[in-house]
Amino acid sequence: MERRTFMKLAGAAALSFEAARPAIAQGKTTVRWWYHYDNPQNTPASLVAKFEAENPDIKIQAEPIPWGGGTDYINRIFSALVAGNQPDCAMVRLSYLSRFGQMKALEPLDGFLANWKSRSDISDNVWKINRSPDGKQYYMPLHYVVIYLYYRQDLLQQAGLQPPKTFDDFLTAAKALTRDGIYGYGMRGGAGCHDNWGPFVLGGGASFEKGGMVTDKALAANRWFVDLALKHKVVPPSAPTDAFRQIVDAFKAGRTGMAIHHIGSAAEVVGALGDKVSAVPVPRGPDGSGWTYFGDESNAIFAGSKNKDATFRWISFLSSAENNAEQAKLSGQLPITISDAKNWTVHPKRFVEASDASLPIAKPLPDHVKTPDFVGRVLPTNLQRALTGGMNPDDLMKAVEQTFHG
Amino acid sequence: MNKVTASSATLRASTPYGFLLPALLVTALVILFPVLQTAWFSLHDYILYDPDNSRFVGLRNFAVALSDEVFWIALLNSAIWVTGIVSLQLLLGLVAALLLNQSFWWRGLARALVIIPWALPSVIIGLMWTWIYDFNLGVFNDILLRIGLISAPHPWLAQPSTALACIMLALVWQGFPFFTVTILAGLQTVPPELYEAAEIDGASAWRQFIHVTLPSIAGIVATAVLLRIIWVANSLDVILVMTGGGPGYATHTLPLYAFLRAYTGMEFGYAASLSLMLTAILLGIVWLYVRRQTGELEK
Repeated sequence: MERRTFMKLAGAAALSFEAARPAIAQGKTTVRWWYHYDNPQNTPASLVAKFEAENPDIKIQAEPIPWGGGTDYINRIFSALVAGNQPDCAMVRLSYLSRFGQMKALEPLDGFLANWKSRSDISDNVWKINRSPDGKQYYMPLHYVVIYLYYRQDLLQQAGLQPPKTFDDFLTAAKALTRDGIYGYGMRGGAGCHDNWGPFVLGGGASFEKGGMVTDKALAANRWFVDLALKHKVVPPSAPTDAFRQIVDAFKAGRTGMAIHHIGSAAEVVGALGDKVSAVPVPRGPDGSGWTYFGDESNAIFAGSKNKDATFRWISFLSSAENNAEQAKLSGQLPITISDAKNWTVHPKRFVEASDASLPIAKPLPDHVKTPDFVGRVLPTNLQRALTGGMNPDDLMKAVEQTFHG
Repeated sequence: MNKVTASSATLRASTPYGFLLPALLVTALVILFPVLQTAWFSLHDYILYDPDNSRFVGLRNFAVALSDEVFWIALLNSAIWVTGIVSLQLLLGLVAALLLNQSFWWRGLARALVIIPWALPSVIIGLMWTWIYDFNLGVFNDILLRIGLISAPHPWLAQPSTALACIMLALVWQGFPFFTVTILAGLQTVPPELYEAAEIDGASAWRQFIHVTLPSIAGIVATAVLLRIIWVANSLDVILVMTGGGPGYATHTLPLYAFLRAYTGMEFGYAASLSLMLTAILLGIVWLYVRRQTGELEK
């Protein structure tokens, strides 16, 4: 064969292969999904395999994104949106809804949901919480957690104390547990500190309403929280920068007697401490009110997705009975479907009960464009300054007030 | 000159530009365009989640930065950060290079080992040193407790008084091999005759170092210092991993502050103005260096 003939044939073959490719690709729609799990070793591979077996025309490209206290995850989503390289869908939280709304980044799900048979397996309350202020439904509920109080029941028993129900009980217990290199409470002042600060400051009377951070009651509650470190010294000196990993590790190692987190870390702490650890709702404020963080997690379809039907099939699959239970096992959180939540035995009963008992005071962070900035920068920076004595605690509250209300 | 000769001369003269053109285009695309875009953003109130409402504000972002308390804290921290790290890296790198330039039987292995910190990714360095300094489980506290230097663990990264110094130490450890390798290369170019002559003249080892070694490697050291100043001034990954800029603003440097305002606050306009101010400072340092080098060449 002449060299020229060979080149012609090779070129024709390459072109025909290229021409054939779209035809092959057309048969399968790829759905890109961004997710995160507290335990990065967990993978949704079995759920993906099950879905793909049921939907042979769809391929799921599940991409784990580092959580980084929430900041890394959300930064990547917004950056991807601006760059136009966003996935088809992603796990999202209510506190991001305003920013997504401002960018017109989400696809309303109402049309899809009208024909979705499993809709009634998620309670009306959850649908209501997840609804956008414009009346549309952009979020497909996935799972939830509520923040509660882990405590060392053996140490409290030795001290002759009951699990704390009020702020005063909490301080008494924290003081009693602080001795011999052990600290009463593993405070989280680093990334994600809002879920430790909120129960005491919002539960003590502060609110995200205009002026709600600078009332006498709010300022007093914040001073009380900061004093746990500065005055009473019932938290480890590393508290100002301690984040999820540090507080959980210190609690597991027996260096702290109480810690505030959710059921996602139950398996880990039980693995280290067994029956010595239990949980109760976070303490109530002086007037009996309380606040704990409702850690919602939903899936949303981005408006830029070219595969919305296939994407809805995937996110509705994850929020359907049995699949949702599998998904909750991977995330370490609680299933959103009524049928899966019934007789849930994946977590020890005492932690499920503590989660359920926390629901009456559980609230998400406000749906405001500034909420991610509050979580990622404003609160950690100012709280750390207050906890290290570099700032008057009242100025911290003024900074939070200014963030939301100028 | 006939027509053919003239056109071939033109072709010959333009050939270098033709070869340079692709590189210039790529440079313009990956360097010039982002720089111009950053400059454009810095003149706007550009919020990433609200790009449609971006508006021109002139130099307001720069004025706001100059009256921003955190900008000045970050600038001071940056000055401490760059000066401390580069000078310690240079000192440690020089000592290591002098040692590795000696003759000993495991010199090859030692030269390979010294590279390890430099070869590790910054995120790994950050995580590793975070655990070294950990209040509860860290080996640093453990060693100090065992040798009796402290009586109780210290929260190294959680105290404003120690956090910046601790991160600087981690970066000094990571970066000194750069100086070691560069200076070692320079040392190997010093003619042995100079040392022989100095020895004949009765110069001590110290005087040989001052009058032969240092002048011979001065050019290399100056270039290495300039490069490190630029890299260290721009580095934020280790800080981000170890403290995220905390506690409070204790470990905020200028690039980190710009990063946080850009990616947490999504205030790209303001962050761009902070970045440009850092760029201007670094350009000043480069200008000083270029002026010095030009002077050296003219001597």
